[in-house]
Amino acid sequence: MAGTAALSAMSAGATLSGCTSGGPASGMKHLRPEDLDLLRAMTPAVLKGKIRPTDTAAIDQTLESFDTLMADLSAPVVAGVLQAFDVLNFGLTRGLTTGQWAAWSKASLEDAESALGRLRDSGIGLLNAIYAAVIRLIISSYYLIPENAASTGFMPPQKVKGAARPSAPAEEATP
Amino acid sequence: MTDQSMVKIGSSTDPYNEAKERGWNITDASALTGPLQLEADVVIVGTGAGGGTAAETLSKAGLSVVLLEAGPLKTSSQFDMQERAAYRDLYQEGTGRGTKDGGMVILQGRSVGGSTTVNWTTSFRTPPETLKFWADQMGVSGCSVDEMAPHFSQMEKRLNIHQWPQAPNANNAMLQKASEKLGYDWATIHRNVRGCLNLGFCGLGCPVDAKQSMLVTTIPGALDNEAKLIHHARVVRVLREGDVVTGVEAEALTSNVRGSTGQTITVRARRTVLAGGAINTPAILLRSKAPDPHGRIGKRTFLHPTTLTMAIYPESIDPFYGAPQSIYSDHFQWESVHTGPVGFKLEVPPLQPAFAAGFYSTAGEEISSSMDQLPNTQCMIALLRDGFHEESQGGVVELGDAGQPVLDYPINQYLLEGVRRSWGIMLEMQFATGCKSARPAHKQAKHYATWKEAKAALAELQIAPHKVTVGSAHVMGGAPMGDDPERSVNDCDGKFHHLDNLYVMDGSLFPTSIGANPQLSIYGLVYKLSSKLAAELTA
Repeated sequence: MAGTAALSAMSAGATLSGCTSGGPASGMKHLRPEDLDLLRAMTPAVLKGKIRPTDTAAIDQTLESFDTLMADLSAPVVAGVLQAFDVLNFGLTRGLTTGQWAAWSKASLEDAESALGRLRDSGIGLLNAIYAAVIRLIISSYYLIPENAASTGFMPPQKVKGAARPSAPAEEATP
Repeated sequence: MTDQSMVKIGSSTDPYNEAKERGWNITDASALTGPLQLEADVVIVGTGAGGGTAAETLSKAGLSVVLLEAGPLKTSSQFDMQERAAYRDLYQEGTGRGTKDGGMVILQGRSVGGSTTVNWTTSFRTPPETLKFWADQMGVSGCSVDEMAPHFSQMEKRLNIHQWPQAPNANNAMLQKASEKLGYDWATIHRNVRGCLNLGFCGLGCPVDAKQSMLVTTIPGALDNEAKLIHHARVVRVLREGDVVTGVEAEALTSNVRGSTGQTITVRARRTVLAGGAINTPAILLRSKAPDPHGRIGKRTFLHPTTLTMAIYPESIDPFYGAPQSIYSDHFQWESVHTGPVGFKLEVPPLQPAFAAGFYSTAGEEISSSMDQLPNTQCMIALLRDGFHEESQGGVVELGDAGQPVLDYPINQYLLEGVRRSWGIMLEMQFATGCKSARPAHKQAKHYATWKEAKAALAELQIAPHKVTVGSAHVMGGAPMGDDPERSVNDCDGKFHHLDNLYVMDGSLFPTSIGANPQLSIYGLVYKLSSKLAAELTA
């Protein structure tokens, strides 16, 4: 579940600072270059045990799924998510909220884990909400990829075009 | 019930495959190349539990009906049990809808059939305690248990609502077992299904038309009665001449329902019925600048704030298969009606993987190892009954910059106490039935190995908004009915107090939350109201 909600109030500082960038990264519908740096750092931390920092193919596949998920949300929700990313991307707010003063492209796995921990444990509800949005979107993006869903043991029935509907056991109607 | 992968599902039952042969009048507004103007006896905004029921009732009386739906028309031929497409196509904001501060996720349907297309089929009559509270405290008349009974009965018959006759899946069976063990009341859920295959994908659109949603019952019924259905049509405002409402204006949405095409749809009608669901119906009233002398529109919007605990068992649970909800417990629901701690209903949810992953609100090895054990995972949910106690006034629907609805509903201390209390009860139930470990939906929690350890952790965890995970699939109120215009938005016939020819017929009429999954409450009430409107218009 995306569960990103309206994050509209969350990043006034970053937005007002004028430090948000322009359009999406090449090949992406919504995610901007700086968002990709952030998510490349965060994904192996959020999905530790599933994706290692060196698994670039798995990270890229998850980010592609993330971008598709963004396109499936509503415009206000997407705006809220991008504003939350602004907070995490803009140097000053990034450092203050996550302790990550260097760029995300330079962050280690430990740095990303520490950043997530600070957002989660903060006494500021806004940062807890940003934490929830970031991890839910990454985890949902991962498990929305059918082979990853199947890795949990989940195998839905197959839909076959033109096939008949299987019959159901007789039901006793007792309104 | 394991390995459903060998089951092959056809879609030979899809009634929309024969739309042409049946002479149905269905318009996809995204394809419009010019403005569309229509006239009808009644225009109905929304095709969910309220709109679907009203459409069939009114059209059956011989009235001409136009149904407008903002979402797409998706039918069983397209329902393939895949999470991504379902969340994208069938839910408000692609499941991204939430409260203003991000504290609660809101799952609400958005396609033809509304939330009935994606709900889990759980059907309860409005509890007697709720109806009595409305009569005694909220100024509602005509809705006593006896007065409502024939309307519920009619809709139960129409939608084949009956007690689920098959064995519960293991996820639900654990709720029953735990209740028996600890001496709690429990009962079997009634479901609106016909020929159910017990697959478990109700939330992704029933692939075999077993669920008796509006999509396959009342809307086909209305179309057979020559009602017109226009989807991809988002109503912007009601049209007025003085104090008289004359219809609605809608904008056509793009095929992905994420933007406007710039075309407009105008429907002029003798009566206008709003049935967009709580949140959207109050938003239409707000966008229309409908008179609101007592500031009631959008206030007291309720969600049954719902929280959960997850447990891992040694045995297989397969929580993603089988009828999603078949057992419930009201043991903690009616200890008091409107005093004391918040009451709650206990149920379980289905756990398809992406859905389950979102429930955890945790990251790292905790989420990875939890998801690896999903087939052994059981989940309990507590639905808090908001809107009865004076400290539970619900949320407020406002309009965002683009005119979109925003629900401001901070989780207050009264509800947080309910979250903590329900976690203790649900965790004890899970440990009493032999789980290996369990965790409450708190961002700083982990899986605890014993009830003693979990209980100690519960005492320590900071129960604060954004630390706890709370969501909702039930949106109610915001345009409540009542006899007193100072305290309500509509009268007890659903008629808007301050304008003529305008009605509300959906869950936004409820003066409190229901205290049960709301679909049958909407069906019964709207059947009553629309029958009366039909009688008036045909007199």
